[in-house]
Formats: sequence, structure tokens, C-alpha cells
Amino acid sequence: MYIFPMKRFALYFFSLLLAGFVTAEDAGVKRILARYQAIRPAAKDLGMYRLDWANSLDEALKRAAKENRPVCLIIIHAKYGDIASGHC
Amino acid sequence: MLAQLQPYIVTSWHGHRNEPDIPDAVKTVWRWKFQPPRGGGIPRRQSNVDLALLNSEGVVVHTFDAARNEQYGRRGTLQQYTAGELRRAVPFLGLENKPVKERSVKLPDLNGERGIRLLVSLRDNRMLAYRAPVVEVVPMTKDDWKPLAWPDKERTVPPNALKPWLSQIYPPGVMERTNPQTKVVYAIKATEGDLKLTPLKQEGEERQAILRGVVRLTDEGPGDFSHQGILEILLTYRKGEASPHSMRGYFNGLYPRNDRMHRDIRWLPLQAAIESIPD
Repeated sequence: MYIFPMKRFALYFFSLLLAGFVTAEDAGVKRILARYQAIRPAAKDLGMYRLDWANSLDEALKRAAKENRPVCLIIIHAKYGDIASGHC
Repeated sequence: MLAQLQPYIVTSWHGHRNEPDIPDAVKTVWRWKFQPPRGGGIPRRQSNVDLALLNSEGVVVHTFDAARNEQYGRRGTLQQYTAGELRRAVPFLGLENKPVKERSVKLPDLNGERGIRLLVSLRDNRMLAYRAPVVEVVPMTKDDWKPLAWPDKERTVPPNALKPWLSQIYPPGVMERTNPQTKVVYAIKATEGDLKLTPLKQEGEERQAILRGVVRLTDEGPGDFSHQGILEILLTYRKGEASPHSMRGYFNGLYPRNDRMHRDIRWLPLQAAIESIPD
């Protein structure tokens, strides 16, 4: 099919423009996901979440008796502190 | 050291000596901790954190100050000291020759409920303990997701609508932003900035949008103290659904930390990986 050169140029230009947008969108998505992965701590930095945590000493003692296991109790001499999240 | 802690059920307790309900194990530890030194003299320096190792019947078999180490401050020595103290309890707990199976990482979640998890890190090269990531989970109701509903065209999202989870982006243990009377950390009271939610192309059964902009977080303490950073989040929506199905993104900012020694402010990178849960 014969396409008028100007029309063909416009079509070519439009598809390039579209490709450009798609690429920019994809690049944006990839960049966000790459940055998220780079900022997210690696497993080696999340060691405390490899431990078997209980929400309270009461719960830990009940489980210890049932599972015949020892308890490691961290005692903080302070009024506030959330050691499970780290915001303390 | 993590391998040595694998057999244990780990938990924590915090409080002061005038608390009405101090657990028996804590009383035992503090009786020893706060007794006057034998033969008089100056009490040894001690921290405000202790570890107590209890057998399965709840009896304290060993306890030690978490940071009382003669070489405290040298890299690696605190881990060696802790590992040594844990070894001392092994014969009393019957842990000799017990095979150690290391657990995989299990991050906090909401037991299957929907929410947002934030992994916050302060890149402080001087205070290495503060580099440890903070992990917070925030439950999200249907209404909480509404500000992030599918945008047919680009629109502004008020950062205040995202305050329940944006307000978790602050560093751990920054004592200068703690109420000196109550010892409670100053909470984030205001989230401001300019956020745009932009729709992307639709792909198959899913469509995506990007939330992008700068947010400033101001705490409730004196001095109109704030920190700010760039927020970029990729949201995924299922076809025909307005509420986001998943999200992944990050906050990348700077936190002005007081440097009392040099009477200056140190601008430290404060970063957060942000993700919806369950995966």
C-alpha cells in the first residue's frame, strides 16, 4: 500500500514517540523497583528476625514449659522501648 | 552469636524499679545488678540493658549486662563478649551437642491482614547500632487505601492522608528527639509535601501507577523539627479494581542529627523500603 511520505513520516514519528513514552514508563518502574531492592535491608542485616520471638515474658514461659526450651529475656531499665520493631 | 540464640525463645521486658508488677526473673536480675559492691568502693559502670537466660521452668540460670565489656567500643568485641556469656549458660540448660537449626528471616506481619511494612535505616557511620533496620507494620483499612485509589488521570495526593504509615519514617534511638520528662519519642505530627499519583499503561490483567514527590515530616517536639525526602512508590491494581493490590517503593531523605561534640548538625541519610503485606 502506498502511503504519502508526510503521512508515513508522521506515523513513524508517532510510533517513535509512543516507544519513547513506553520506555520512559518502563524505566521509571524499573528504577523504583531497583531502588526499593537496594534500600531494603538484606537478610544478613535482619538477623534479629531469625530468632524465635515471643510477645511477652508470660507467653515465652508458657511456651518454654510446653516445648522444653530455654528463654532469653532482654531486660531494659527504661520506661519505653519497642525492641521488636527497633523504634526505641 | 545468632546461632547460639537459636534454641531460645526470645522476649523482652522494660520498666523501672518502682513498677508495680515486676516479673520474678527481673527481680532476680536486678537484686544482683543493684547490690552495693562487695567491700564498698565505687560501683562498676553498667548499662540499662541486661540479658537473663532462663531454663524451661523459668529459673534464671545466668545473667549479664548486655554492654558491660572491658573493651567496649572496639569493633566486634561486644559480639565476642555476648557469645562468651551465652556459652557459660550452655551446661546449665542442657544445650551441649544439640544440633542448631538456623531459622529463616521472618519479618513482622499482621497475621494475614492487609497493611504496609516499612524497613527504616539511618545510615550513621559513627553510631553503628543505629544502622540496624527498624521494621514497622501498619494495618490498613479499606478507607486507608482510598487516597491511593486508581487515578484515571494524574492527581495530587495530600501527604496527610498517608500519615498513618509515613509517620513511621524516623530513626531509632535518637535521644535528642525524646521528651525529657516522659522519655517518650516525639511522634510525627504533620506530614506535608507535594505528591502526585500518575497512571501508567495497562498490561494484561494489571495496571500500574506511580506515587512520586517530596514529603516533609515534622515531629511534635519543640523547634518545629522536621526531616524530608523523596517518596517513590509503584502501585499495582487488578483490572477493574480501584484499590491497590500491591505496592513497592522507597523513601530517601536526610535526617538532621545534633552533633553535641562539634555543636553542629550532621545530615544523615534516612531511608525506608516500603511494601504492602501480605506479599
